[in-house]
Amino acid sequence: MEALQLLGQGFATCFTPLNLSFIVIGVLIGQIIGALPGIGPSAGMALLLPLTYGVPPATAIMMLAGIMYGGMYGGTLTSVLVNVPGEAASVMTAVDGHQMARKGRAGAALSISAIGSFLAGVAAVIAVVFITPPLAAFALKFNAPEYFLLALLGITASASLGTSSPSKALMAALLGLMIAMVGVDPIEGTQRLIFGQPALLEGIDFLPVAIGIFGIGEVLASLERAQAAQPMRTRLRDMWLTAQEWAQSRYAIVRGGLVGFVVGVMPGAGPTIAAMLAYVTERRFSPHPERFGHGAIDGVAASESANNAAAHGACVPMLALGIPGSASTAVLLAALILHGIRPGPGLMTEQATLVWGLIASMFIGNVVLLILNLPLAPLFAALLRVRYAYLAPGILAISLVGAYASTLGFTNVWISLAFGVVGWFMIKLDFPRAPLVLALVLAPLLESSLRQSLLLSFGSLMIFVERPLAAALLACVAISLVYPLLKLRRKVG
Amino acid sequence: MKKSDVVPALLILALSAAIAFDTRGLSFWADTTPGPAFMPVWLAIAGVVLGVLRLLEARRSSAPVEWPDRAALLRVALVLGGLVAVPVLSPLLGLVASLALFVGFLLLAVLRQALWPSLATLAITVGVVYGIFVGWLNVPLPKGMLGI
Repeated sequence: MEALQLLGQGFATCFTPLNLSFIVIGVLIGQIIGALPGIGPSAGMALLLPLTYGVPPATAIMMLAGIMYGGMYGGTLTSVLVNVPGEAASVMTAVDGHQMARKGRAGAALSISAIGSFLAGVAAVIAVVFITPPLAAFALKFNAPEYFLLALLGITASASLGTSSPSKALMAALLGLMIAMVGVDPIEGTQRLIFGQPALLEGIDFLPVAIGIFGIGEVLASLERAQAAQPMRTRLRDMWLTAQEWAQSRYAIVRGGLVGFVVGVMPGAGPTIAAMLAYVTERRFSPHPERFGHGAIDGVAASESANNAAAHGACVPMLALGIPGSASTAVLLAALILHGIRPGPGLMTEQATLVWGLIASMFIGNVVLLILNLPLAPLFAALLRVRYAYLAPGILAISLVGAYASTLGFTNVWISLAFGVVGWFMIKLDFPRAPLVLALVLAPLLESSLRQSLLLSFGSLMIFVERPLAAALLACVAISLVYPLLKLRRKVG
Repeated sequence: MKKSDVVPALLILALSAAIAFDTRGLSFWADTTPGPAFMPVWLAIAGVVLGVLRLLEARRSSAPVEWPDRAALLRVALVLGGLVAVPVLSPLLGLVASLALFVGFLLLAVLRQALWPSLATLAITVGVVYGIFVGWLNVPLPKGMLGI
C-alpha cells in the first residue's frame, strides 16, 4: 500500500508542465533515435545528457529514461519497414516483421509491436513498483563485501550473458576499469596512471567516453555505408489487427514480457538478449514453429514485448542497488551522479520524489508512446525517408559541443574523439561496448568496496566467503565466469 | 591467426605492461589496507591473463572482420580529420563557426550532398546547437575573431 501511496506522489511530481513536457520530449527523441539506424538509445542518452544540466535532476532523469524506453518502440519502424534494426534490441523484430511487411502486413507488425511494447512495458513498471522497494530495503543489509561482489557481478555478467565472445566482452570491461583508474586514488589521494599528463589528474569522465564510444563511434561506422535502403510504405488503415492475428499474439506478449522483465532485472543482460531469448522461447511454444522467419506475428509480439519489458526491468537493480543492468541504465546512473545524487539502496528513501517521479513517468511515457506508435506510425515512417547524411553532421556537432559543455574545456572533446576511434574499432572488431561503459560506471564502487572489505578483514579474503550473502554473490560471479568457458568449450568441441 | 584478433590482445598486454610500469612507485599494500597500486596491479594481471586467453582463442577460431573498402575508409578518415579540426580551429574562429565549417565540409566535400539541402542542414544544425547550448543552457562557447 505504501508503494501505491508513493506512486501517487510520483504522479503528482510528473504532472507539472515542466516534467510532463520533458517526458514527452524524452519519449519523442527516444522514438526518433530508435527509428534511425546508426544511433541507439544509449548513444542518444549520452549525447543529450549535457542538455539536462539546466533542469532539475528529476526532470532530467525522466527525460533520459524516456529516451531509453522510447528507443525500444522506435526501433520497430526501421526493422519492419527497412529490414535494418533501428537499434540492437529490435534485431529479432526485423526477422519476421519485415517478412510481414513484404506480405502487405507492415501495419499489423507495427501495431502488434506497439501494443505488445505498451502492455509489457506497463506490466514491467507495475513490477518495478512492487519489487524495487523491498529489494532496496534488503540491500540496506549489504556491506562493503556484498557491494564489491555485486559490482563485480554486474561486470562479469555483462560479459558472460552478451552475444559476443566472452573474452572480447571481458577485455572491453577490463579496458573500462583501467580507464577508471586514471587520475587520483580515491582513498589516499595520490596521482596514478596519468603518464605525465596534468590534464588527466581529474581522471577520465564517463560522459566524453560514452559520447565517443556510442555517439561518434556509431556515426563513423554508419557513414562507411551508403544509406540507400528505401523504407516500405504503410497506411493508418493497415494498422488494424485481424482477430486471428490478435489470438496468435496475446500469449506471446505475456511470455515475451515475462522473459524480458526477468532478463532485464539480471545485471549485465539487457533488451537485446531479452528480445532474442523471448523469440527463441516463443518459437518453442508455437504450434507452428516453421512460420518463424517467414512473417510470424507472434515472433514480432514476443521480441518487442521483451525488449521494452527488459528496458524497464533494468531499472530495478539500478534504483534498488545502484547497479546498472544495461548500457542505457549505466548512462542513467551516470546522469544521477552528474546531478549530484548518490545512487544505492538509500536512493529510494533519500530521493523518494525523484525515484517515484521516474517510475510514474514511465507509465505516462508508455501511454504517449502508444499514441505515437499507433495512429502516428505512418508519420514516423515518413521520417525514415530523411537521408542519414543529413542527420550525421548534427549528431557529431552535438557530440562535440556536449563534450565541451561538460567541463567548458577542450580536454573532454579530445577524449571524446579518441574514444570515438576506439568505439569505431570496437564495432569493426565485434567488441561489445556496453561492458566498457558498465565497468567505467561501476569501477569507483568496485575499488572502494574491495579496499574497504580488505581493511575490515585485515587483508583476509575469507570475508567474501564467511558472510552468507557475500558467499552467494561470489557463487554467482563464479558461475558468470565459468558459464562462458563452458559455452566456448562446447563451441570449439 | 588474423591481425584483427592479435592486435587487440597485444594492445591489452601493452596496456597492462604500461599500468604495471606506471604504478611501480605506488604502494601495493600499506599496513592493513590495500594501497593505490592494488587495484591497477590486479587489473594489469587480469589484462595479461585475458590477452593470452584471447590469443589462444584466436588460434582456434577466427571470425571474419568486415573492413570498409578504400572509399569508405577515406570517408571515415576525412570525417575524423574534420572532427579534429573543430577543437583546433575553435580558439581562432569560435566553436560555432568551426562547427559550421565542419558541417559544410562533411555534407558538401565528404558526403557529396546537394547544395541547397546541405545549406539548410547547416543552418538548422548551427541554429539548434546555438539555441540549446547558448540560448537555453547559457554555456559560454569559445568565441573567435568573428565574435560568435
